[in-house]
Amino acid sequence: MTGDVWVVLAPALLGSGAFAIYLVARLLTSRNDLLALLTALVFAAALVALVPLQFTTGVGHLPAWGRFGPGGAFLRADPGALVVAGVALGLGLLVALYSGCYLALDRRYEDYYPLLLLLVAGLVGMVMAADLFNLYMFCELMSAAAYVLVAFRRHTDTAIEAGFKYLVMGSVGTVTILLGISFVYRETGTLALSQATSAPGPWTRAGLACFLVGLGIKSAIVPLHTWLPDAHGRAPSSISAMLSGIIVQSVFYALLKVCLGLGWAGRDLGALLIVLSLFNMTLGNGLALVQTNTKRLLGYSTIAQMGYIMLSVGVGLRYDVPVAIQAGFFLLLAHAAMKGLAFLCKGVCHFYCDATTINQLRGTATRLPLVAVAFSVALAGLAGMPPLAGFAAKWFILMGTLRSADGLGYVGLAAFLLNSLLSLGYCLPLIGTLFTRKTSQDFGETSASSDFGELSQGVSEASEVSIQISPWMVVPIVALGALVLAIGLYPGPWLGWTANAGVYLLALGR
Amino acid sequence: MTSALLLTALLLPLVAGALLPLWRGRRIHQAGRVAVAAAALVLACVVGLLVALQRGETPALALTWIPAAGIRLALQLDWLGFPFLLNVVVVSLLAAVYGWGYMHADARLPAFYALLLFFMGGMVGTVLADDLFLFFIFWELMLVASCALIAIWGEGEQAGRVALKYFIFTQVGSLLVLIGLIALYVLTGTSSLAQLRAAPPVLDPRWATALVTLFAVGFGVKMAVFPLHTWLPDAHSVAPMPVTVMLAAAMLSMGVYGLLRFPLSIFGPLILANFSLPLMIAGVVSQFYGALMALAEEDIKRIIAYSSVSQMGYALFGLGTLSQPGLAGAAMHMVNQGIVKALLFMGVGLVMRATGRRRITNLGGLRHALPLTTLGSGVGALAIAGSPPFCAFHSEWQIFAGGFQTPHTAVTILAVLAPALTAAYALWFIRRIFLDPRPEGLEVSVPPLAMRVPFALLAFLALAVGLYPAPLYDWVMRGVLIVTGGG
Repeated sequence: MTGDVWVVLAPALLGSGAFAIYLVARLLTSRNDLLALLTALVFAAALVALVPLQFTTGVGHLPAWGRFGPGGAFLRADPGALVVAGVALGLGLLVALYSGCYLALDRRYEDYYPLLLLLVAGLVGMVMAADLFNLYMFCELMSAAAYVLVAFRRHTDTAIEAGFKYLVMGSVGTVTILLGISFVYRETGTLALSQATSAPGPWTRAGLACFLVGLGIKSAIVPLHTWLPDAHGRAPSSISAMLSGIIVQSVFYALLKVCLGLGWAGRDLGALLIVLSLFNMTLGNGLALVQTNTKRLLGYSTIAQMGYIMLSVGVGLRYDVPVAIQAGFFLLLAHAAMKGLAFLCKGVCHFYCDATTINQLRGTATRLPLVAVAFSVALAGLAGMPPLAGFAAKWFILMGTLRSADGLGYVGLAAFLLNSLLSLGYCLPLIGTLFTRKTSQDFGETSASSDFGELSQGVSEASEVSIQISPWMVVPIVALGALVLAIGLYPGPWLGWTANAGVYLLALGR
Repeated sequence: MTSALLLTALLLPLVAGALLPLWRGRRIHQAGRVAVAAAALVLACVVGLLVALQRGETPALALTWIPAAGIRLALQLDWLGFPFLLNVVVVSLLAAVYGWGYMHADARLPAFYALLLFFMGGMVGTVLADDLFLFFIFWELMLVASCALIAIWGEGEQAGRVALKYFIFTQVGSLLVLIGLIALYVLTGTSSLAQLRAAPPVLDPRWATALVTLFAVGFGVKMAVFPLHTWLPDAHSVAPMPVTVMLAAAMLSMGVYGLLRFPLSIFGPLILANFSLPLMIAGVVSQFYGALMALAEEDIKRIIAYSSVSQMGYALFGLGTLSQPGLAGAAMHMVNQGIVKALLFMGVGLVMRATGRRRITNLGGLRHALPLTTLGSGVGALAIAGSPPFCAFHSEWQIFAGGFQTPHTAVTILAVLAPALTAAYALWFIRRIFLDPRPEGLEVSVPPLAMRVPFALLAFLALAVGLYPAPLYDWVMRGVLIVTGGG
């Protein structure tokens, strides 16, 4: 067991933190706020542990730890993995703080916080895994935690149903990945993921197809996305924020690493990704337009945003444009902040006003003014309005896509533009709903139209009073809101963070 | 010094708008005054900038912002932008004053003025921006702020839907512009407008044609020329009157500014020549379509809204001629049309406030009850019909003069006939509202002073600019030299 110990520090901290917090919760205290704080501290420590790697990791130098071979843990940091892991840890930190109040709805803290830590531990391990065995193990660790967390509200049948559906589909994916691994091992005799030296043979190609399906299920590539709206719609909002914000994207990164590492030519994979992205974007946005449940809407929007990421990365790989891949990572980062913020805001509405459908969100502006503003920032960002993070991402993606060298890229570009209009079709009315006053008829049958300007008639007293929100919720929401604005207004440093990731992936695909 | 003025002119509306929500409780009545004070200070800055421009300087400011993507925080004001800037600031100032009388004071009033200032800030930024990225941010701020104003303060039950329609239509145009801007950057490697103008890129003609098309359609949506106009009548008739005034008199001109700034300044005559006839024809169609729709409408606010479609047709025709008088006429027409359109909309607002009615069939005989409104609206109607000595006469003259410099004489003759229709709807509008017999049961109250003062001022401006157009000619001509490359 040798190598750069910083590489293993973050997953180790998270894993051991999970056990420690479980013990603390069972033996010492079951106070939610203390446990949330402890969990947040673990996330913060893991985040700090990644910092030295930022400086040592470059395209040419990938710090590794561990021993290759059966049973040996083998991790390797690369620029892309650091971005994904950093985003996951940052989002996890804020979600843990948020849960300090939000989880009072569900209790069972001793299950929740360790699972949250294991979820991120699995993620960090997966994106850093340097062989297929570790990738598989960490992916399963993450997935198992995710299944339980989706079905966390086990007193509701819908949550059980969503969790079960997720479990079944995820397991099919798992088995397919395992099959793929065995195919690859049969031909190459090794599980190591390093740059392939020769073109893949027939077994490896069969294995690659298995990975595409297996990891494709977990990263919600259309038509393997059907579990996502249910799972993200039924999980507690804090967990939806993690799932939509980073988990799906991290599996996509693992997919890229596996496919390129096993010798799938970047040009071909890029073309495939562009084609698949057309479906993801259009279907995600199209179905988001007709949703009545807020969280399902956000779930479909995640499918669409995955499409944008796929398009950008695909263009980069196909036409050898590092800035396009970089833009994909930039969107991943921006999307994590925006979608995380949206789900957390939705959670506050659920916590204080018991609002789940879109119509029930009416009157949010009078009762929860801060949340209404933050939610609007998140939605406007998702729709790509300047000067928010989503717009900067859109700008960079367009900049990358316009360097396409043939028709396929321009088809993707046209679809991207069309979809950024479609996304306005659900983001704007939702913002409008937040700022619409609750009318007396809303308490009975709700009507679909939202007339912003109408003065309230027969507004009940209770819905006019603004509610004091717990600081545990205010801090993450304000932090994410500021981040969405900061990424949009000053994207330089964030763009710099993702620069090496693009170059690295491109080098892997050559 | 001049860069400080530039920065103040840009940031003042935004900062004042951000601070306005602090005015709460009893102080909400001051919100309008704060907004007017901010707009007046911006006007002072613009006058200061004019002095600098007259001295031969080009006020500019550039800071690094996102070096990785070649994006700078760069502002610049030249003669091309100046008439537009002046128009935006004056119209916004008068619209804010008009709002004192027009808007009901409730708890949301500070937010109204804040958004009004953001709207103004967006337009000021659009004119001042010297960077593609920055240009687009302000371009969109303009849209977001105006859409929020329509959505929240819109009149009638359809406000939410109208706002959504307005947003999505305009966003289609914005996306085309966005593609154009980014393609310009990718193809040329610079995001500075000044550099693009100084060293026009040598592009593959196919690319150049595609870019001009993108810009023409994208800015055409903002100009609301036929057939891209469908958002305009709804948005203009639903928006509260101060916002309508800003939409019609200031925001539409941003489309013309965009066309002058991007395709017309950057691409060579060889590429543009292909677009001349299509643009001229589109302009003539808009002229006639808008005028005919105005004749057919019964809602007095929609009549003037359709008149905007017609007036933007004049400007598009002028741009399409690609000749010096045509371009100058189009730019001048934006100022003149802005004055007249603000005047007419304010007159409509006075009539609506005084009578509580907006169907032209229910109105009539207001000349005795509202003499000032009658006079002012009469001035507006004559001016929009292009009759001397009012302001729009000069710009229409220039536009048609430009038309006759092109080989497309037949189209130009058609364009020259359009003012006849304009006169028809304008005079019909005046006759029905002010001169025809007064219907029974029409109660008239006196509108507040704050609504009458800006109205009177605009009527005066319409006459003054008509009688002494020399300074405006001078500014616009220098601006057009930048476009045609003579400067």
